[in-house]
Amino acid sequence: MGSSAGEWSAEQIDDYETLISTTDVELLKKAWRNEKVSPEILPFEEALVKRAKEQIQLMEETVDDFVESGHDPLIASLYQMDLDRAQFLLRSYLRVRLQKNRPRNPSGFAIEKFMFYIWKTDTYRNRLSMEEEKFTERCIRDIGKHLEETVLSNLPDNYQSVLNQSVISEEDDMVPEPLLDTFVVAKCERTTRPLYLDGSRQSTGDDHFLMVPGDLCILRYRPFQEELMSGNISLV
Amino acid sequence: MHGRKAYELVKEFSSGEKGHLKIFNNELFERVTEECNEHHNALQSLIRKMQEEGLEVQTAKNADHYGSLIHHLSLIRNKRCLMAYVYNRAEIIRDLAWKVGLLHELPREIQEKFSDSEEQYFKDHSKSLKSYMSQLSLDVNVDMVPPKDPYIKIRVLEDLGSGIILSDKSANFARHSMHFLKRTDAEQYIARGLMEELTG
Repeated sequence: MGSSAGEWSAEQIDDYETLISTTDVELLKKAWRNEKVSPEILPFEEALVKRAKEQIQLMEETVDDFVESGHDPLIASLYQMDLDRAQFLLRSYLRVRLQKNRPRNPSGFAIEKFMFYIWKTDTYRNRLSMEEEKFTERCIRDIGKHLEETVLSNLPDNYQSVLNQSVISEEDDMVPEPLLDTFVVAKCERTTRPLYLDGSRQSTGDDHFLMVPGDLCILRYRPFQEELMSGNISLV
Repeated sequence: MHGRKAYELVKEFSSGEKGHLKIFNNELFERVTEECNEHHNALQSLIRKMQEEGLEVQTAKNADHYGSLIHHLSLIRNKRCLMAYVYNRAEIIRDLAWKVGLLHELPREIQEKFSDSEEQYFKDHSKSLKSYMSQLSLDVNVDMVPPKDPYIKIRVLEDLGSGIILSDKSANFARHSMHFLKRTDAEQYIARGLMEELTG
């Protein structure tokens, strides 16, 4: 054969890249990045997480085998390193959905931060895993109890709600909502339909643009939610 | 002045070092709560006065109406400040629950800064987190930083003795002794300030 990397056709390289980009590690990495940057919670990647867990278990067994059989310790430690990375990725993915503590993106979404909003918004609730849903419920109960004990029970009757400022509020004006109008850096994965900056499908002027794979754009999040969900763009 | 005390309360929180708690300011907190009730009493007596005068509370736009409105708004503002104070502290408490709550007691210096209810909240949230992780059968509170090397060099900062058994070895973790440990094992001790990572 004798074909070295330099002689690969563009098509072959494309094929190779497509293949690589569909491995579970890459998919999880992408899901993790999206989740990290997105100002709202994204659908839980249930199947992917399940596969990742299985693969990690398999790797753990491999590493154990290596250690036991007294194989070359260098190989074993390389496997261990790979395993550590995979585990970090999985844990971080699960964690980033729950926890707010993200220095680089303090306005980012987190279940712990927007629990009340998630609970009353079906779209968001359906995006949680079963375990996350239970966790959210407990979170609400815990913080509810704490706020009740510390603040609310000492206030006059009409002002005791955790969701409303007072009984005359017409909406839940104490519930923080995610800021979907922030800007995100988006990378194109698949060629998109013509996009309009305001997110509409029909153009009123000719201000539309196309993104081709590899393009980077800074976009307002809200109008491009759909593109993200369909996997046409990813966030970086 | 309306809302001044509540403002001080929130200000006190926000002037603190990020991620650190000060002692729960009970005195000021209670003062603001009291103020809420004073506003409420004033509000009610104004409404009663209007009713006695035979005026419709919603539509009569006289001085008493606006007076009661101001009391209502001041009350709401105070409520928001109280909630913000407690809620933002709760966020820090949640972070602590992530870092140490699942495995160990909090250091006394931190516990002293909690109110009673906060102490309970810390325990509750730690438990919720724990139950999430056990359902998942995966610990999500380790591996907080991306791994570079599976093993790291650490120095023990406080005498831990030899009671600790790590996944692959046990040793005498005397104060100032240095060890080469699995990163996942060492992380929880580093988080609690009992060990430090030696870099470079």
